[in-house]
Amino acid sequence: MKRLLNSTVAVLLLSGTAYANDSVLAETAKPEQWAIQTGDYANQRYSELDQINRDNVADLRVAWTFSTGVLRGHEGSPLVIGDIMYVHTPFPNNVFALDLANDGKILWRYEPQQDPEVIAVMCCDTVNRGLAYADGMVLLSQADTTVVALDAKSGEVKWSTKIGDPAIGETLTATVMPVKDKVMVGVSGGEYGVRGRMTALNLADGTVAWKAYSTGPDEDMLVDPEKTTHLGKPIGKDSSLNSWEGDQWKIGGGTLWGWFSYDPDLNLIYYGTGNPSTWNPSQRPGDNRWSMTIMARDADTGMAKWFYQMTPHDEWDFDGVNENILTDQEVDGQMRKLLTHFDRNGFAYTLDRESGELLVAEKFDPAVNWATHVEMDPNSDQYGRPQVVAEYSTAQNGEDENTTGICPAALGTKDQQPASYSPKTQTFYVPTNHVCMDYEPFRVAYTAGQPYVGATLSMYPAPNSHGGMGNFIAWDNIEGKIKWSLPEQFSVWSGALATAGDVVFYGTLEGYLKAVDADTGEELYRFKTPSGIIGNVMTYVHGGKQYIGVLSGVGGWAGIGLAAGLTNPNEGLGAVGGYAALSDYTELGGQLTVFELPGEASAAAEPAAEPAPAEGGTSG
Amino acid sequence: MNAITSLASLVLAATMATTAWAQDTTTQTPPPAEAGAGAAAATSGAAAAAPADPAAGQVGDAPVEMAEGATTLPNGMDITPVSQENGRWYNAEGIPTFKIENGVVDFATFNGFRRYSAECHVCHGPDGEGSTYAPALKTSVLRMDYYDFQEIVASGKQDVNTAANLVMPAFGTNKNVWCYIDDIYVYLLARGTDELPRGRPAERADKSEEYTAQEDSCMSM
Repeated sequence: MKRLLNSTVAVLLLSGTAYANDSVLAETAKPEQWAIQTGDYANQRYSELDQINRDNVADLRVAWTFSTGVLRGHEGSPLVIGDIMYVHTPFPNNVFALDLANDGKILWRYEPQQDPEVIAVMCCDTVNRGLAYADGMVLLSQADTTVVALDAKSGEVKWSTKIGDPAIGETLTATVMPVKDKVMVGVSGGEYGVRGRMTALNLADGTVAWKAYSTGPDEDMLVDPEKTTHLGKPIGKDSSLNSWEGDQWKIGGGTLWGWFSYDPDLNLIYYGTGNPSTWNPSQRPGDNRWSMTIMARDADTGMAKWFYQMTPHDEWDFDGVNENILTDQEVDGQMRKLLTHFDRNGFAYTLDRESGELLVAEKFDPAVNWATHVEMDPNSDQYGRPQVVAEYSTAQNGEDENTTGICPAALGTKDQQPASYSPKTQTFYVPTNHVCMDYEPFRVAYTAGQPYVGATLSMYPAPNSHGGMGNFIAWDNIEGKIKWSLPEQFSVWSGALATAGDVVFYGTLEGYLKAVDADTGEELYRFKTPSGIIGNVMTYVHGGKQYIGVLSGVGGWAGIGLAAGLTNPNEGLGAVGGYAALSDYTELGGQLTVFELPGEASAAAEPAAEPAPAEGGTSG
Repeated sequence: MNAITSLASLVLAATMATTAWAQDTTTQTPPPAEAGAGAAAATSGAAAAAPADPAAGQVGDAPVEMAEGATTLPNGMDITPVSQENGRWYNAEGIPTFKIENGVVDFATFNGFRRYSAECHVCHGPDGEGSTYAPALKTSVLRMDYYDFQEIVASGKQDVNTAANLVMPAFGTNKNVWCYIDDIYVYLLARGTDELPRGRPAERADKSEEYTAQEDSCMSM
């Protein structure tokens, strides 16, 4: 990470250009702050802070709490810029600015007026994955697809732009990513036949700079048929249109509701596209390009440099939207610019992020069975494609047939809950699901603004395993191997945080904040917060003292699917009700819990403060 | 709260009845053409038109009625299937209901499971059990009557105030829901009365030609 930032600075200095987004690079480089949801552009979710470390984390205690006043699923995390913490809520998407220098007094609040009808088209709870900061503004993505820029000091609305239409099922749940003089905005609605796209707004006034669709004609997708590549080869003319039957691409999904990353050196943004609509594969023959695809695009123009489609012709709802984590690591003795992606389909991919070359594709849960492997031979006509097992192919088994025992389930081996990477251990820490499913596709009709699903599914914990529905794993992205795996009773639906204190934090659906040793996975601390955690753990420094913050508030896909517990229809009646129900452990609630070590900020704070000026100084 | 406790007793009673019946099947052939917990003749069919909001006394009496092998819901509706039309079962008042025979569910109820699990479960959770996001419909159908159920599904529902932001969409124009609204309803009835366990129904009756014709007609409108 340091290397990445330093080289970025070098480029900036050499070019002598003052970019409008200097603020984001500067603010994310200060470890005492948390300026964008992903921690930094690389999505590492790593902090240089080490006051709280493996030797003292057991002494952690609650410093203060804050109720958000909203009872739905709380995803994302607060931001901290200087003395102010910014807290967001699910719908109605309220924003609070808390004065950290004054016991968290509310400096200002923003309470948008939105038509509640939008809730009716949010498939899986009214979640919002948080705010972003740039140029003295806090950027909010509202459920009704309005992006609002608020003055960070006063809360005053600077501009507001609506990028979609809830009447046809378009909503916003993802955070936005400010890059240079633009703001990258996704769109949700893959279960409503929404046509996915990235919308770049001008940061200064919110006007639309460009749109890049995931599907359709080349000019809509901002691709160059000769220069945009897929696994090193040009994608060619009409690459998307040729992979759909008729006009199905118009309601074909490929939405963007995950996390975005950015490499300032290469000036490329990275993101993944969601499932093709409908869930019934027989209604959309072809590879359904470019759903389920990692995309690399020029941050200024949106022009695509490379694509990689992980799950051509999806048959299981394995959205490709999960985060792309950017690292610089040694591969076979050579430093490479890497991109690591833990897909819903159960494969963890390591790619060269400059060229889009596929380096590693391995299962990150041994239960994954729908494909034997991803073909790695560049000379094979199957290069880069998962080798689907016929028994688990809902397309080959056909409509109205119940395909059983597919691992993972539709919620994926991992959903959007972001992993973290520690440059110290060169290890990824990944919250995962350990759930399998039966899947029966059937024919559906499309109605604008109505669910467009077309499959029935039953989910249950992975058979012949520990009986739990999740694991928290440590992953080696070069070897493609699990280093250690901690079984969890429920899916781990909380974003992880790794720190220079050799500690990794994550939350659980029961509501525990847990701290584990970054090397061994040994649990060092746990505390049960008021509600299940689907938010992401963050850290910051105030008054010389390190804090850990996390939002509680059970909900989202996890809360819907697991509230009543799972059953396994394949194990007979004896198993029904035999699995844990989330409702036995937690209830709704929206609360921020902030943790600290006992005692005042003291000498212990000094060593931790050192890396801060160094990092901030070189990139400010 | 009182009502909820009583409801729990009702479900418990129904469960016990089911269990006893299931044990019977291991030793003897069950009586033909009788649905659910050994359904006898309707004892309170006239109450089917009772208001959706049941009086507390009505709910309190429910376990007694169920213990006698009756099939009357807390809302007063008798769920005994008496006639079949277009492949779907109806009670004496012509309200859709389910029929489970020797563990084999009628096709409409089975299809209700499929449609529920596609269109409804993303908010209301698997098997009608409810979620952190939306109420348990297997319980709702015991309280509200068929016509109220239809109206809410067709027009949607809003409960938006300082404490809640619950909005259900209107499905009246969605053929994937509306062509199967009765199937979803009877599936939830079967779940709510515990006549059908969680998960995919193990055995189902075949799809009849009448059912297929009606389905094709509705979906192609």
